[in-house]
This record gives sequence, C-alpha cells and structure tokens, in this order.
Amino acid sequence: MPILSLLIFLPLLATALILALPTRYKSSYKYIALIFTAIQFVLAGICYANFDSAQTGIQDLAGYQFVEQLPWIRLDLGAIGKLEIDYLIGIDGISMPLLLLSALVMLMAIGASWKIQKSPKGYFALLMVLNMAVMGIFCALDFFLFYLFYEVMLLPLYFLIGIWGGARREYAAIKFFLYTLFGSVFMLLIIVGLYFSVINPLTGAHTFNMIYMMNPENYLGESIFAWDGYQEILGISARLVGFIVLFFAFAIKVPIVPLHTWLPDAHVEAPTPVSIILAGILLKIGGYGIIRICYSIFPDMAALSNWWLGLIGVVSIIYGALNALSQKDLKRMIAYSSVSHMGFVLLGIASMTAEGISGAMFQMISHGFLSAALFFLVGVLYDRVHDRNIYSFRGLAQIMPKYTGYVAVAFFASLGLPGFSAFIGEAFVIIGSFNATSIGTGLPRWMAIAGSIGILLSAAYLLWTLQRMFFGQIRLKGGESWGTALTDLSVREQLILFPTLALALLLGIMPDLVFSNLNASVLNLVSIIQQFI
Amino acid sequence: MFAFSPYISSFIDQIISSVPYFKPELTLIVTFIGTILASLFLDRYWKKTSFTMTLIGLLLSGCYLLGQGLSHIEITGFFDMIHIDDFAISARLIILVSTVLILLFIHQRHQHQERPLGDLYAVLLTATLGLNLLTMSSNWLMIFIAVETVSISSYIMVGYFSSSKVQSEAAMKYVLFGSVCAAVMLYGLSLLYGFTGNLNFDTQSHIAGLIEAPQIMVSLALLFLLTGIGFKLSFFPFHVWSPDVYQGAPTVITTYLATVPKIAVVVLLSKLLASWLTVSFYFSDFLAYVIMGIAIATMLIGNLAALRQQDAKRMMAYSSIGHTGILLMAVLVYQNNESNVLLFYLSIYALMNIAVFIFIDALEVHIGHTQIDSYRGLGKQFPLLFTAFSLVLIALVGLPPTAGFVGKLLVFSKVFEQYQTFQSFGLLALLIVGALTSVISLFYYFKIPLNAFLKDGSTQQSFRFDPLLLGLGLLCTAVVILLGLFPDLLLAAF
Repeated sequence: MPILSLLIFLPLLATALILALPTRYKSSYKYIALIFTAIQFVLAGICYANFDSAQTGIQDLAGYQFVEQLPWIRLDLGAIGKLEIDYLIGIDGISMPLLLLSALVMLMAIGASWKIQKSPKGYFALLMVLNMAVMGIFCALDFFLFYLFYEVMLLPLYFLIGIWGGARREYAAIKFFLYTLFGSVFMLLIIVGLYFSVINPLTGAHTFNMIYMMNPENYLGESIFAWDGYQEILGISARLVGFIVLFFAFAIKVPIVPLHTWLPDAHVEAPTPVSIILAGILLKIGGYGIIRICYSIFPDMAALSNWWLGLIGVVSIIYGALNALSQKDLKRMIAYSSVSHMGFVLLGIASMTAEGISGAMFQMISHGFLSAALFFLVGVLYDRVHDRNIYSFRGLAQIMPKYTGYVAVAFFASLGLPGFSAFIGEAFVIIGSFNATSIGTGLPRWMAIAGSIGILLSAAYLLWTLQRMFFGQIRLKGGESWGTALTDLSVREQLILFPTLALALLLGIMPDLVFSNLNASVLNLVSIIQQFI
Repeated sequence: MFAFSPYISSFIDQIISSVPYFKPELTLIVTFIGTILASLFLDRYWKKTSFTMTLIGLLLSGCYLLGQGLSHIEITGFFDMIHIDDFAISARLIILVSTVLILLFIHQRHQHQERPLGDLYAVLLTATLGLNLLTMSSNWLMIFIAVETVSISSYIMVGYFSSSKVQSEAAMKYVLFGSVCAAVMLYGLSLLYGFTGNLNFDTQSHIAGLIEAPQIMVSLALLFLLTGIGFKLSFFPFHVWSPDVYQGAPTVITTYLATVPKIAVVVLLSKLLASWLTVSFYFSDFLAYVIMGIAIATMLIGNLAALRQQDAKRMMAYSSIGHTGILLMAVLVYQNNESNVLLFYLSIYALMNIAVFIFIDALEVHIGHTQIDSYRGLGKQFPLLFTAFSLVLIALVGLPPTAGFVGKLLVFSKVFEQYQTFQSFGLLALLIVGALTSVISLFYYFKIPLNAFLKDGSTQQSFRFDPLLLGLGLLCTAVVILLGLFPDLLLAAF
C-alpha cells in the first residue's frame, strides 16, 4: 500500500469534498476535515509502528522506508541534458518523528478551528491544502518535488493569515510571504546549480534526486558545485555560496535573529489554529531543511561554518528570550519564546555531535506540540474576551482554575523543567555543544553556557507571566462583563490540551520513544560530517 | 545593367516551387480578402459571417502548419526570403493558437456592439500574416515589411473602438512612437546593408561585412536596429509607450498587443542572436552586452514601476515589460535547434496573459473601470473567478505548481548552464536580478487577491459574467496548472 502517498494526498481529497459540498452543509466541513486528518494521524501512527529503527537513511536510499518512486518528468533538453524528475518519497529517522508531529498538530489545529464562522468552506479547504503541502515536504526526496510542496505551502498560509487574521493581517500575510519567497527564489538558483552538477550514475542524466546529490561521486568534475572546490562565485568557493544560500532560505523559516521579524507579526495576526500550525509545524520545516538539505548535501561546508551557525543559534536564544521578557502581548511573548527555543535547534545542529543533533530533533518535536498548546491556550483567552494584553488580566486562577492548571503545566514544560520533554531536548543540545570542543568540531564551550542562560531567561519570562496574570487579586480590564465571559475550559478544549501535555510528560520520562527511531539516521549523518572536521 | 529577362523563367520556377510551403500564409491572405468582402456584403444577412470566416481561415492555416510540423520540413523559399524550420513552425502555431483565443475573446466581448467587427477581424489576419513572416525570415527587407505590417495593423486595432479622448490619445501615441522607431530601425538596416552588401543576416558575407566595418558605425547601426525591435518588445528604454497604450486601448486589443507580437519578435531576435553570437567579434560581444544590460534594466524597471500602479491594466503593462526581461534572458542563451525552452516560455506567457486580461475584462464590463481597489471584497462573491485569477497571478510570479514556475525554472537552467561554461559575470547578474524581481513581482500581483479576498467590500454587487468568456479564462488557467504539473505534455511537442 502506498502509505506515504495516501498520507500526502488524502487532504486533497478532503479539499475536493469540501469544495463540492454546497454551502448548505457548511456545518459538515469541519467534520470532513477532522475525519481526514484523523485518518492521516492513524496512517502516520502505522508508519511509526512499522518503522524499522535500525535503518540509517540520510544519503542511502536503501536506508529509507516506505519508499515510492515513479518517473515523473523526463525530457531531453539538448545542451542542458536530459531532465530527470522523479516522484520520489520516503522517510528515515529524521522525517519520521516530524511526520507524526505534523499529523498531531494538524489535528489540534482542526480542533482549535471548531468555532470558525467566517466562510468555513474556504477556510477548511485551504487548511487541507496546507496539510498536504506539509506532509509532502517531509516526505519528498526529490528536490523539485520538495520545492513544489515548499512553495505550495505558502499560498494557503497567505490566505489563512490574510483573511481570517487580526487587524493588521494584510501586512503580516504579505510580510511572511515575501520573507519566505525571498529565501526560496535564491534556493531555486542553487537547485538549478545542483541539477547541473549531479548526474544519476545509472542513467547518466542530470537529476534532481536529493539522495544522489548527497554522494560526492555523482558530481561532475568541472561542475559548479564539484567537490574539488575550485569553482568560485564572485571569488567565494561555489560550494560555500550554495550552502549559505540554502541555509538562509531555511533559517528564515526557523527563524534566526535577525531574520525573525516576520514571526511575531504573523503569529499575532494569525488566527489561533494558524498560529498553532506556524509554530508547531512550519518552524520545524526550517530545521528539517537544514538537516536534510544543507547538512546532507554540503557536509564539507557545514563543518567549515558551524561556528557561525552556533553563534546565530546562541544569539537567537538570548535575543528571543530578552524580547519575550519585554512583551506586553501574551501571543507576542510566546512568539518570541519560539524564536528562543528554536535557537536551541540551531545550536544543536551546529554542534555536529550525535547528542546535539538528536537533541535538536527532540527539541523540534517537543517545541512542536508545546508551542501549539501555548498558542491554543492564548486562543482560549482571546476567544472569550478578545484581549491578549498581559496587564489586562490579574488573578485569573480564581475564575478559571482548570485553565490556570493547564497553563501552569504548559509553562513549566516549556521552560525546561526536568520530567518534561523540553528538558530532554535542551539538555541534549547543551551536552552536545559542550562536548563539541572535545571532539574538535570547533564550537567553543561558552556557547553551551550561553544556551543555559537562555533556559534561565525562559524560566524568568514564563514564571513572571504566570505571576502577573493568574495570581493575586482579581482585576480585569473589562470589569464585570469579562468576569462572566471568562468561563473555564470546555470539554472540547480539554480534549485537545490534555493529550498534548500528557505527551510532553510521556516524552519527558520516556524520551526513547523518539530517540530510538532517530538514532541510526543521526549517527549516520554525524559520521558523514565527521570526515570533514 | 543587370539583364533580367533571361532569368525570368527560373525566377518563376523558384516562386512556383516555393508556393506550397507558403500555404498557411496564403490561406491567411485569402481569408483576409474574404473577410473584407464578407463584412461588406454578407454580415448584414448573418452577423457572424466574417467571424466564422476568420475562424475557419485561422484553423485551416493551422492545419497546414500542423502538416508542415509533422513532416519536419526544413526549407528555404522565395530566394532565401523565407526559411521554414521546426522553430518557425512551432512559433507560428503558438501565434495561431493565441490569435484564435483572442479572436474568440473579441467576438464574445464585442459582438453586441453597434460597431461592426468585420474590419477588425480582417486586420487581425494581416497582423498574423506579418507575425508569421517575422518568424520565418532572415532577410532584413522582409523583416522590415513584416514589422510594418504588424505595426500598421496594431495602430488600427488600438484606435478601432476609440470613443473617449483617452483611447484616441493612446492610439495617437502608439502611432507616433511606432513610426519614429520604425524609421530609426530602417536607418539602421540601411547602414547594415551598406556595410555588408547583403540583406540576409545569417549569411557569411553579412557577418564578414560586419567584422570589417568600423566599430562605432556598427554599434550605431545595431542600436538603431534594436530601437525597432525594442519598440515591438517594449523593453527598456523603449517601453514608455506601453503603459499608456495598454491602459487606453480596449482590453481585447491590449491582450493582443501584450502577447502575440512579442512571440514573433522574440523568435526573430533569438534567430538573429543565435547566428551572430556564435562569431566572437566586436559586434557580437557588443550586442550580447547591450542585450544583457537591457534585460537587467527591463526586469528592474518593469517590476519596480509595477509596484506603484493602481490600475490593473497599467500594472499588467509593467508586468509584461518585466516578463520581456525574462524573455530576453531566454533569447540570449538560445542556441540553434534548441528552441523548446524558449517556445515553452512563450506559450505559457501568452496563455497567462490572455487569462489575466479575460478576467480583468470580465470585471471591467461590470465595474466600469480597472482600478485594483474596486475589486475590494469581490472574492467572496465570485470565488471561482478570483480563485482562477489568483492562480494565474501565481503563475506570473513563477511559483509552483503552475507552468509559470516550470518556464522560469527552464530559463534559469539555460542561463545557469551558460554561466557554468563561460563564467560570465553578466549571466550571474541576470540570474540574481531574475530571482530578485520574482520576489518584487509577488508584491504587486498579489494586490489583486489582497483586495479581493483580504479586504472587505462596501457594497453587495450583483452581476453575472459571460459564461463563455469565463469558461475560456478558466480553461487557460486549467492548462497553466496542468502544464505546471506535467510540462512534458507541451515540451515534448516542440
């Protein structure tokens, strides 16, 4: 059974169904979306259950699982060679956990959009297109296919933010779109360069196959990205240019400081479900891209430039945390905390140790559903009184005890309390970057120390917020009317939050659930990069 | 004096033997005369006579072309005046298909107006004839005649429906600018003839003449020549007429001007460059650098100026200037016998533009003008039209999964391949500017979905669109998406 294709294209079926149903039945759209996403989640679960954790993946197609390969576009273009584009999908230890995460976060997002009133038809149709693109990105092993899904993802997001967003939604939507597109058009040039540099050893044709791009033997001697490193673009080694351009294309998504400015705007203006998807899945695409593409295709350049990557990671951690500390808007604060937490991912990747990269992967998973939960919690408050200002609330614990309980757990889990998943991720990243010096990857120890300061800062802003909003005497900006509007969590809301936070605890206690699947692929990646240190 | 009479019989033999290869154009000529007569005498009995005749003529011409295409003939006729090869055949087919689409558009849009359309159809046929000749010829004299045929036809078209002052002004501007450019081009051609004593640009003696001619004079002649071509393609710095004319002309005519003539002129220019740039001498280097500079400037100016436009048609004028820059990129790296990338981009370009203008026009009919902010909030009322509209705009930006993306990718690939071989900084600059301007273009193209979907409209408007026209637009959109997913359907055909 082509399980991955099913996983990718099921949402498209849902889109068609939603578009075909007349508006009379508009109350059924959310059920269609929910059912299809639930099936996807089950399929992703089947993948997880049948996943062979001993397979390595990365640069070896045989190490990928559930592989499907179909010739898609075959063209003879004369001087620029035969065009060879495959429909090639498959997963390894890097993409497997992210796939499951995406299905889970999508499910949460659908749950969070239960009360959408404004043209639900368009909303759920776009959400399902986005769902398809996201699944496609994590499965694609052909660069053309990857790029296709990567760009297709932008369009539904633009409209989701732009139509269902807040007051400054137009600005936020186009800003988000332009930032990402800016990265990706230059990525396209590098893809073209790689295409000319790499040939399929079996057919002799140029290829977009990422797996072939990872093998130095497939590069043509005189080509622009040839491994001998003699080729130059504007006086800089061509491979370095390629690495840097690809890195920035993905780093915008992560996002890194100083290219993060789209994120707070997009988050604040986006409706809750879209914020959930943004934080839960889309930021992970950045990290995934760096591992799958930058590191695997340019391991030599990764080894050369990891000091800078680490520095960017550290700056993002500290700068994001300091910004979060000074925010008055709760959603903006969580958006900046995302910048800070995603900095750990970059630091872990830069360490190039097995611990660091595993930690980065784990941090992505953990941040995926924790940030989704946080944004959902903000949405709960905003749904009720349409205000997110931290200083508008005080003493919420007395009106909404259950809500406060969930917020407290989510905050503690996010700040890296031992026993929760974020702790494992951050601890492994710091261990990895601390050890990096001893195995000579060139990451100084002060970066690890700066990372721990980031954890301290995140404790500061999260606990301070908890204190400001939930404790003390009841004082609400809206007075009496707010008091009645602020009802405690409904069953639906608890149904979404409880599994998420339970998962945070579960992974905090049994991290092996993720690590066991990651391990073989991460070790393989590390061993590839080690050759160049 | 050259004794003429002994050669008459061989001349006639040559002409007679060439005629069979000229069937597609002969069909156009016959249809042209037929359409004029029909519009004079028959249209009063059955209004659609001239339209039907034009359509049949174009389709018949297409059949002959297909016949030529299937037999892959490569032939020279009429004393080297025309040269038919696969490139010319494919280009003419694209021209023909676009013309048929636009013909349907014109008919459906204006059939209920008082002004009879028969003459316009006839003019459309002559323009097509001129464009066909442009794609086949490598003789300067023939080229000049063809360019003028197209120009004069376009002058008439622009002024055909003019009822307001703006429209007459557009037509007048177009005529004045066009005739000056044509005169300058003719001067350039006479210089070239003077240097070489030969009018066929792909012959050895022509190139040898250029090599020996004084550098300054050759440069001047080439610049003059580019003036005429630049007017037709509206590249920098000869683009100034196009926004006014595009905005002022009726939308159906704008559609024509923005698409079909560009196809033929691009084909001509690529043939010219392919035969000249292979010789590495002063004039070819000069020409390559000038075109490179023009391409960069055109992309930048077209896209940057489009940012500030409030009118959809004016914005599309600047967008089409921007796309000319990309086309010039493709022209620059065109090599003989490898025309599929160029042809693919041209056909997609034509399709995208026709679709966009059909949508703009459908809205213009009801709203009365083409201001972008008048689309405010209409997306919710007409989801189908605006979804298709947005998809075509996405294709114009060059984003997947549309054919616009594949086209851009193929052009970039071609340029990159040349860059890898020659390591020329100019080509790299072209690539970077091309990528950068795609990002810029997103900004203005998305003003339309922004207004339609993201902003709230003030009034509920109720109007119905012409179902046939809307269907035509949707069909073009569907093809653009289909070719984005399976480009080999079209690419393999070239």
